[in-house]
Amino acid sequence: MSTRARILDRVRSAIAQRDRAAHPGRFGGWRPSVPAGGSGGDIGGLPGGGPHGEIGDEHWDPFEALFRASGGEVVRVPDRRAAAAWIADFSRDFASVVVGQTVPAELEPDLARAGPEHAPLGISMARAGVAETGSLVMDARDGRRAQLLVPTHVVVVSSRSIHATLSDALAAMRDDLPSAIGFHSGPSKSADIGQIMVRGVHGPGRVVALVEGARPLIENAQEAIS
Amino acid sequence: MSHANPGAYRSTAARILRDEIETRESIGSATRTFDAHRLQAYGQIDADRWRDWARDVKSHTLTHLDRYLEQAEERLTSNGALVHWAETAADALRILDKVVEGHAVRTAVKAKSMLTEELGVNGHLEKLDVHVRETDLGEYIIQLLGEPPSHIVGPAIHKSLDDCRRLFHAHLSTPLDAEPDVLAAAAREALRQEFLAADLGISGGNFLAADTGTVALIENEGNIRLSTSLPKVHVAFVGIEKVVPGLEDLSGFLQLTARAATGQPIGNFVSLIQGPRRSDEVDGPEEVHVVLVDNGRTALLEDETAWEALRCVRCGACLNICPVYRQTGGHAYGWTYSGPIGSIIAPGMLGLEEAQPLPFASSLCGACVDVCPVRIPISDLLLHWRQRAVEERLTPTGEVFGMKLYASLAERPRAFQAAGSLLRRTPWSAAGHALPVLSGWTQERNAPKPSPRSFRQLWKDGIE
Repeated sequence: MSTRARILDRVRSAIAQRDRAAHPGRFGGWRPSVPAGGSGGDIGGLPGGGPHGEIGDEHWDPFEALFRASGGEVVRVPDRRAAAAWIADFSRDFASVVVGQTVPAELEPDLARAGPEHAPLGISMARAGVAETGSLVMDARDGRRAQLLVPTHVVVVSSRSIHATLSDALAAMRDDLPSAIGFHSGPSKSADIGQIMVRGVHGPGRVVALVEGARPLIENAQEAIS
Repeated sequence: MSHANPGAYRSTAARILRDEIETRESIGSATRTFDAHRLQAYGQIDADRWRDWARDVKSHTLTHLDRYLEQAEERLTSNGALVHWAETAADALRILDKVVEGHAVRTAVKAKSMLTEELGVNGHLEKLDVHVRETDLGEYIIQLLGEPPSHIVGPAIHKSLDDCRRLFHAHLSTPLDAEPDVLAAAAREALRQEFLAADLGISGGNFLAADTGTVALIENEGNIRLSTSLPKVHVAFVGIEKVVPGLEDLSGFLQLTARAATGQPIGNFVSLIQGPRRSDEVDGPEEVHVVLVDNGRTALLEDETAWEALRCVRCGACLNICPVYRQTGGHAYGWTYSGPIGSIIAPGMLGLEEAQPLPFASSLCGACVDVCPVRIPISDLLLHWRQRAVEERLTPTGEVFGMKLYASLAERPRAFQAAGSLLRRTPWSAAGHALPVLSGWTQERNAPKPSPRSFRQLWKDGIE
């Protein structure tokens, strides 16, 4: 008998007489009951309220609040042209850059190219964002090294691609999964040395989410989340 | 740590409390910080409902585990990953041998993983003459020190900043008064070279989504993403209890685990790994192995009561709040998994006798039950294993004798009265100084004065 068969046999015999528990259903149906600041009310007819505006909600931006709270930076620009201008300006301080495979040509700065092992700056395109957790969704097709090895990482994300919940984001990607997805929700950090927080331990120590298509941030968003 | 030694719990704990005063301070401060963050993060959500949901998904999966394991295997295989099954640690290490041999592996980078500690992966690789490097900063620190992890989430929380300064000074030539960011930068530079040169990346797995064949990993440093992205070959060791039915289930578990562990909404880096690099991708490993590990888990699953402990997501919340763990940290427990969770999975995974006296290393205060994100009834399970230990005569002779003596007195009213009267007349202050254990207690305390008359006499005379 193979190892596999022996393990599965033991599992079957262990659970044979046990009451089978039911799956409780989608997690996405429940919203966390964070004090909602300026937003409020039920979302999608579900109880609880929460920090989740629908996509395009004008009144609440947990993505920005959470991404900042975990040490990231957020820059908002109204459109692609403004994004290109911001990148051109920002990259002036760097000697070279590595650009992700799926970054549109019009966003590429006029700067020397370097390999991801050497470039001080990386520019990537996020496949999506998640408001509920303040996360950028990084697809392996954009190139993993460029997302991980650079000290400073600029990630372009369209505000239209920011999902309200992690559950929504996972549902949207499940039929088109690359070899790996990374959720990046802030800079690389660690408190392993004497419980003191430091940034840039392995991955980027500085990460900027460049959000194309502005949505206003309510004043007390930060306060309500933290 | 492949060699488990819970039997030395009492003596090791005593030694740590006596000789390593800073350990208690470091552990106490780190666990209180973790727990304060957890408390705040639970306060922001409807934690009761989230925890009910997580408990139910895990119980559902564990009572249909064969089905989900088969589905996970099938999906991973169709994603191009190579799936292996390991019944024991030796099985798992043999699978690793073949990978090392097949790719002529000389260097490996490791992402933090408790399962690889359990299996003894590092020691085994060193025997094969493979240079293996822990890349999580905390794991790196304890690897340099030659110690096992002291905590599931913060492996080096028992070490102070000054400990790290001395260590990094010796290994990386940083100044003795270097600030933490300087130390981290030195480690980054040293480890970066190892990442780029490594032939093999080794990780664990926090979750395995069956419907998409996705290994999910949570972290804050980025070393797991690097370990699973840079080397040509990636081997993920995943406990069979880590499977969940669907990708969508990860939405709850990734968030709840982070909140329970460190109080974050989500780890700053999460990896969802389906398989090897594809033709439309510019980088990533060419070969991905997923090793499904039993190593005692099915034995725990067989226990009618304690199987619920397999719901554990390894967040460390029960360690952080445990008044017993806080005194010594994880090393006293003598096994990879310490604290309350270690004490309830050890008897199932290692065997009841091997795990003694861990089920007794608790005050049964129940604080762990209140924080567990998957609602494992930890104190009930500690009692369950204690009862089993008594049934199988595994408790210390003194305790067995004491309980027997009490039982025989309690069955004989006259003997019980006589014993009570004897206890009331014992000069406790003097006796206390003479007796072991009590002498420590009575050094700074006065024994209470016993009532001159027994409760029975008072009752007879009419209690005022």
